[in-house]
Amino acid sequence: MAGLSRRASLAGVAATTALLATRPLSAQAKTTLKVIWMGWPEGQVKPLMDSFRTARPDVELQVETIPFVQIFQTLEVRLGARTPDPDIFICDSPLTASYAARGHLMDLTPHIDARRFTPSAIAAASWQGKIYSAPFGSSCPVLFYNKKLLREAGIPFPEPDVAKRWTWEQLVEAAKKLTDPAKNQWGFSFEQQERPYMLLPLAQSLGGVALSPDGFKATGYVDSPAFVEAYGFMQKLYTEWKVSPPGLFDPNLPVEQFGNGKIAMLVAGTFNEATIKNKYPDIEFGVAPYPRFARGKAVTPTGAWHIGVNPRTRHPKEALAFIDHFMSHELQVLWFELRPYPPVLKSVWEKEAHRFETDMWRIVRYELEHTAVPRPATPGFREYEDILRTALRDITTGADVAKTLTAAAQRIDRELEKYKT
Amino acid sequence: MRHGFREPWIVVFWFLAPALAGLALFRLVPILIALVGGFTGTKLTGETIWVGLRNYERLLDDPSFWNSVRVTLLFNLVVNPLQILLALGLALLVFRPTPLVPFFRAAYMAPMTVSLSLTSILWAILLEPTMGPVNGLLRAMGLPPQPFWRGEDQALATLVGVASWKGVGYWMVFLLAGLLLVPKELHEAAMIDGAGAWQRFCYVTLPLMRRPLGFVLVADTAANFLLFAPVYLVTQGGPNGATALLMFEAYQAAFTYLDHGRALAVSTVILLVIGLLAFFELRLLRERGA
Repeated sequence: MAGLSRRASLAGVAATTALLATRPLSAQAKTTLKVIWMGWPEGQVKPLMDSFRTARPDVELQVETIPFVQIFQTLEVRLGARTPDPDIFICDSPLTASYAARGHLMDLTPHIDARRFTPSAIAAASWQGKIYSAPFGSSCPVLFYNKKLLREAGIPFPEPDVAKRWTWEQLVEAAKKLTDPAKNQWGFSFEQQERPYMLLPLAQSLGGVALSPDGFKATGYVDSPAFVEAYGFMQKLYTEWKVSPPGLFDPNLPVEQFGNGKIAMLVAGTFNEATIKNKYPDIEFGVAPYPRFARGKAVTPTGAWHIGVNPRTRHPKEALAFIDHFMSHELQVLWFELRPYPPVLKSVWEKEAHRFETDMWRIVRYELEHTAVPRPATPGFREYEDILRTALRDITTGADVAKTLTAAAQRIDRELEKYKT
Repeated sequence: MRHGFREPWIVVFWFLAPALAGLALFRLVPILIALVGGFTGTKLTGETIWVGLRNYERLLDDPSFWNSVRVTLLFNLVVNPLQILLALGLALLVFRPTPLVPFFRAAYMAPMTVSLSLTSILWAILLEPTMGPVNGLLRAMGLPPQPFWRGEDQALATLVGVASWKGVGYWMVFLLAGLLLVPKELHEAAMIDGAGAWQRFCYVTLPLMRRPLGFVLVADTAANFLLFAPVYLVTQGGPNGATALLMFEAYQAAFTYLDHGRALAVSTVILLVIGLLAFFELRLLRERGA
């Protein structure tokens, strides 16, 4: 600093002043959209955002990614403040009604051409006849199995054919043969051991209904005989037959154990196919449909991530441009390449048909058209999901099934009370 | 004269002002918000409405709230005496300067440097029933694996253990400081009078430790009543409500059930209970001194 002349430092001050003076102008020219997004790996998020940045250089995107275990609480806090921040947020499709009822979602009906999407995606995006969230992906779990372990145990592979779908009873018999405590090897696991998303179909397969048709009553549904029987079965996987590893509530853990050859069969979402192939290239695995009960019907869960616009946004035009961009055929193909959820755009299924000729996608396509049941449409889904999740968690650790479900149903009823207006 | 009296107070006030402002802003204002907010509810569209005692009435006939009260009281009834006894024991062990004492003092204090969330995750991994190393060790020794966090009968005990692993070293520091303040002369005098080690502990050390013990008792109780991280991160209040501490109940009311009025009502209940306990704890220790 000592060597710096007075003139030079004055010039520096002048330049800084000039720079500061011009900054507000350029900032005004660029609109900033704040986006809350799921904490998927950066490689699955940045290409999507960059695609919009290229298309709309006049809009600045500020993207915040939040881990799955925190995203719903974070959204509650941020939306609950009722400010224009964030402008856009990723929205779990069954929460559409919850956010819409509380005024956290802009009505997108005039903006979304329902004919371009699969009917189930539009159903999941709608509340009281209006479209509130933009469909971005669907979902469908399948049964992954380790070919080497099944071959060693002399078990014929479950076929990738919906007509020859395994029953849960069949699966348990196979799982018993595949379980070997000495090798710390388990026969079967759900990817999501506690989430209603993955487990509701057990009860629905036996004729259970998740919630009253008006979406406000759980008593008589969540504690019905079908639920008690289905989750009694689920409990035995852990406590009586001991074919499933208890307590792996983080969905990454069962997938990891399957990849390491410690779990022989895994019911898990389609996007895991890519994960297993990339991370565990040595595992030779096959795919079969989600099982059903012998005396029940085939039911699969569905629904996934949608995109919502905050109705309080100060930049509705730009926010809707973001939605348009993300609803385009090209972007949804890119998204499918990055993280293969079943597409929601009909054009992706049609124009990209070559991608869906594998066993897994043939199964998924059938399930989405014939067996998929969306989660119950209720503004209280956040409460419903959490209470049922805790109950299912307790059941896996040995809690009395009927008592736990009755208590959960009463708790859900109490929480749904506030939406009856 | 009058002038001279007033001036020091003004000076004192201005020196204290920043701290008082912080106290008001970060302690008193939130407490007031909780007290008032407990009588309000939020409409679906965000407007706050006055509901009177409804939040409290609903709490009173909510079995999960009562379960939470039971679990919180049980937890505190065990964890506070246990932690203080262990902290006192450790302080006595590392009190006398022998060669390895600095090492042990540091070792007991080490858990203090790990954040509570990190502690929770660490022990969640160590005690994981299926893949955790502790059960691996048990199996290798031919013992049956334990459910720990996942067992309805063991979860609360596990929580007590982990909270103590983290807390005992911290409270030990205060008690150690108290022990160091006990004048040596009193011990010497007692020894000359023929008092044994146990008698000196009961009649010399303990009475003089009343102040640090009182502080540790009140502060430890408050800290344990507000324990949240391990419940949120590891057990989610389960299994079957076995670890549903009141703090978690308040959190769930606000962020899962979207019922801020109830969350603030639960917070107010916690505040009242802590206040009452602190009052009795301080009185208990004061009376003995009188």
